[in-house]
Amino acid sequence: MTNLLNRWRKRLRALVHTSAVDRELDEELAFHLDMEAQKYEREGFTPENARRKARLAFGAPRQYKAETRDARWLSWMPGVMMDLRLGGRMLRKYPGLTIVGGLAMAFGIWFGTLTFEMVRLVVFPSLTLPGGDRIVQLRLWDTEANQAEPRALHDYMIWRQSARSIDDIGAFTDATRNVFADDGEARPVATAELTASAFRIASQKPLIGRVLSEADEAPGAPPVVVIGYDLWRNRFSSRQDIVGRSIRIGSGFATVVGVMPEGFAFPVAHELWMPFKPNVADQSPREGPAITVFGRLAPGVSIDAARAELVSLGKRETAEFPQTHAHLLPQVKPYARLFMDPKPQDMWLMLSIPLFAVMLLGLVCSNVALLMFARAATRESELVVRSALGASRRRIVAQLFAEALVLGGLAAAVGLAAANFAIEQWGKRYLVENMGTLPFWYDPHISATTVLYALGLTVLGAAIAGVLPGMKATKGLGTRLRNGTAGAGLRFGGIWTAVIIAQVAITAAFPVVAFIEQRELWRAEAYDVGFPAERYLAVAVAMDAGPNGATADTARNAKYATALEEMRRRLLDEPGVSGVTFVDRLPRTEHHYRLAEVEDPSRAAASSGAESLTVSRDSLRWVSEATIDPGYFDVLESPLLAGRAFNSGDVSSDAPVLIVDEVFVKQVLHGRNAIGQRVRFIAPSTSKAKSPEAPSPWYEIVGVAKDLGITSVTSRNRDPGIYLPADLGRSGPMYMAVHVKGDPLSFVPRVRAVAAAVDPALRLAELQRLNEVSNGVLWFLRLWIRITLGLTAMALLLSLAGIYAVMSFTVARRTREIGIRVALGASARAMVMSIFRKPLTQVSVGVALGSVLAGLVMLTEMGGGTISATGIGLMLVYGLVILGVCLLACVVPTRRALSVEPMEALRVE
Amino acid sequence: MPPRPSSTSSDVLRGTLDLLILKALSLQPMHGWAIAQRLEQLSRDALRVGQGSLYPALQRLEEKGWVDSEWRATEQGRRAKYYELTRAGRRALGDEVASWHGYVDMVEAILRST
Repeated sequence: MTNLLNRWRKRLRALVHTSAVDRELDEELAFHLDMEAQKYEREGFTPENARRKARLAFGAPRQYKAETRDARWLSWMPGVMMDLRLGGRMLRKYPGLTIVGGLAMAFGIWFGTLTFEMVRLVVFPSLTLPGGDRIVQLRLWDTEANQAEPRALHDYMIWRQSARSIDDIGAFTDATRNVFADDGEARPVATAELTASAFRIASQKPLIGRVLSEADEAPGAPPVVVIGYDLWRNRFSSRQDIVGRSIRIGSGFATVVGVMPEGFAFPVAHELWMPFKPNVADQSPREGPAITVFGRLAPGVSIDAARAELVSLGKRETAEFPQTHAHLLPQVKPYARLFMDPKPQDMWLMLSIPLFAVMLLGLVCSNVALLMFARAATRESELVVRSALGASRRRIVAQLFAEALVLGGLAAAVGLAAANFAIEQWGKRYLVENMGTLPFWYDPHISATTVLYALGLTVLGAAIAGVLPGMKATKGLGTRLRNGTAGAGLRFGGIWTAVIIAQVAITAAFPVVAFIEQRELWRAEAYDVGFPAERYLAVAVAMDAGPNGATADTARNAKYATALEEMRRRLLDEPGVSGVTFVDRLPRTEHHYRLAEVEDPSRAAASSGAESLTVSRDSLRWVSEATIDPGYFDVLESPLLAGRAFNSGDVSSDAPVLIVDEVFVKQVLHGRNAIGQRVRFIAPSTSKAKSPEAPSPWYEIVGVAKDLGITSVTSRNRDPGIYLPADLGRSGPMYMAVHVKGDPLSFVPRVRAVAAAVDPALRLAELQRLNEVSNGVLWFLRLWIRITLGLTAMALLLSLAGIYAVMSFTVARRTREIGIRVALGASARAMVMSIFRKPLTQVSVGVALGSVLAGLVMLTEMGGGTISATGIGLMLVYGLVILGVCLLACVVPTRRALSVEPMEALRVE
Repeated sequence: MPPRPSSTSSDVLRGTLDLLILKALSLQPMHGWAIAQRLEQLSRDALRVGQGSLYPALQRLEEKGWVDSEWRATEQGRRAKYYELTRAGRRALGDEVASWHGYVDMVEAILRST
């Protein structure tokens, strides 16, 4: 081992301290020479003769040294090192190219790395547990409904007894529970009720105490709980005596038996673990709670073998319970794919994203190649001289490659750092916003694989940016050398012109996209809900289900209704609270949609009051629906525009009523008087074959409300809205809006305390100001704007680089011509015009194309309307600005051209 | 003075120099010149190892991990680079010797048969 280490130390030393190692070799050879001379002296030669003889015998030390060096590890490295050092020097010499090319490559690598990491997470998730690839999920698939059947308690019992190919089969149900800390404050905690085998599967030992055991699952066993590290640290101040203490969870108590180590969140993102105690009553086929079943493949068993065994078990079930199991197929899947399991056809779509990123990098690096090529053209005489001095074409190309590699290395460092930043800042939040909770094994970060991938991208990019221009610039160098016509052999192809025009077009068109997004954002930010939402505290109020959801629904609903009413009563007693109300969906968020039909008086008269069941589809309108408690409009301080509010009798009344908003009156009733009109709801027809469901009974409109933001903040138009009276308890979980004096958030602790006092099973979540409920959506919009602007900046940079490259190349190639024309008396203006013609055409075509593109985008985005004069004016101005900026890229090469001295130019040849 | 090795024998030498160096070093650690002297002496002056092949060969052996080197003072108090057989080198020497004998036997067998 030490031997090996020693060897590597020496290898590295030979690589890094080349000169010191060379000095040692000199010393060693000198020693040899001395010893040889001494030998001859001993044989009787004079010191002088002895030395001469020794030197003669010794031969040419320079050659030995070269041979010895060649025998060293990575003996070719110093040459490469020299190339790289030279590359670094070139980058310092041309800072413009370094900055532009480096930024462009960094962008390409950044984008490539980011997409790679995100796609890797989705397509190849891996469970971060010991032997995680052997952990599987077992589920029932309903082949008729084409969806999973989560009520699998019956089958779970059978699998656990009979399956031989899967060990430690266990199950969990997902719940959120109110956990009371020492200070009496309750917080909802993600809880898993799971079998003890889960801890064996996850191979994790507790930090303190013990994990759950099979004995805890026995009926009548005392209630116990294992808590997560963060919960222990944040809510129980890391007390060492936590084990053995009884803590309040919802309306019950449980004894803490253990604390799990930091980061443990099996099965998904849980912080609290309780024993899985299913009811015997729930074990009939396709009954009981929704469960997730997991297990570990038995040693030596493949997942296919496990699948086969489960399918054969499933066939037995189908035979025994044809009514419930006729269409149920048991499946075994890797546990890591519990949440995102792209189908094979989507897989290709996912993989095409990194492919696109690689192509983008290719495009970006082609631009850098353009710059390098243009510079190679200006250095052409140097290349010719080097070639004349014996540098092979390979050597020159290698040098350009090394240069691009140094640039790429710098770019990779910047790109990776930026990718890390983006993942930390946006990636995690993006996943959380998309998935709700982030399962513990989705941990986006720059992994070693990602770094390797980035290095691969770097080499690819350097090959494009360095080797291509190198090959092109050195092509026919010998001929040029003979003919003495520097520059004449190099040409820009039409493809480059196309690339530059396309980039300018993108630069011109993208800001329109950004502008449209920005307008969406402004509209969303300016979304008026018709009442001062920032003075209200919004809270999602839910109630813990009984053990395993077994509590009868009616009893639970009644309890929930009582709790809400009691909470309202107590909150109204608090100082500063002027109103409390409940609603099923908060303003600004997405609401339920329903198809509504307004009664046509003429048709109603014709059918003489009989309920007409035929529905004319043309009169149907999608409407947004909210269920509110009677005090809603009072508490929001927005009195009805007409009619009356709900009263307590409306819920149970035989004659159902509803309230519409002003948008409804305008869009659906076209301004007619709403009061007294009747509306009913039609189930949207899903299939032509089946007869449509019967419509709902007629609802009478009793009031008209203001537009109170019943439409999602991202929606372009306000949807017509209807309000239905809530039957607290039976209308599902409600949001509570509390009107408070001062900052609503400062009232949060009081709300928590009141809720805890009213019913410990009440869970509060999403406590925020009512105007902030759509912040997540706005964050997305802002992210998109940033991305668009970033892409625009990149396209602009690349366009500038391309134009600059072409210009500077053109000038270099025409030095002689310019010189002659200036000598013949051509004016500077004529010269500038002749140089400018080509880039001017390119940029103009690009801007024109971009404007057309932008116009098309605007037309489609604005729903077929026309573009306003201001819009056209803005686009024109922007197009001119782009034109100007692009022409700036021509300044340096033009000045270089104008400073050409005629005599000098002629002497060039 | 004995005759200089002919070109044929120098070709053979190039292929077997690594083996001879390992053999020389199997007795004790020594510096490059001493290795050359030792080989000369063991071959009864039949073999002269040129520095041109000695030092690259030593470098090669060190790179393979068969010898290790260290700067030490000689008996006369001069600084010299001493080479020493590593454990892997000792194993390699055994293998090389066996393979050499095998090679010689094969050549011998062919020569005898014709």
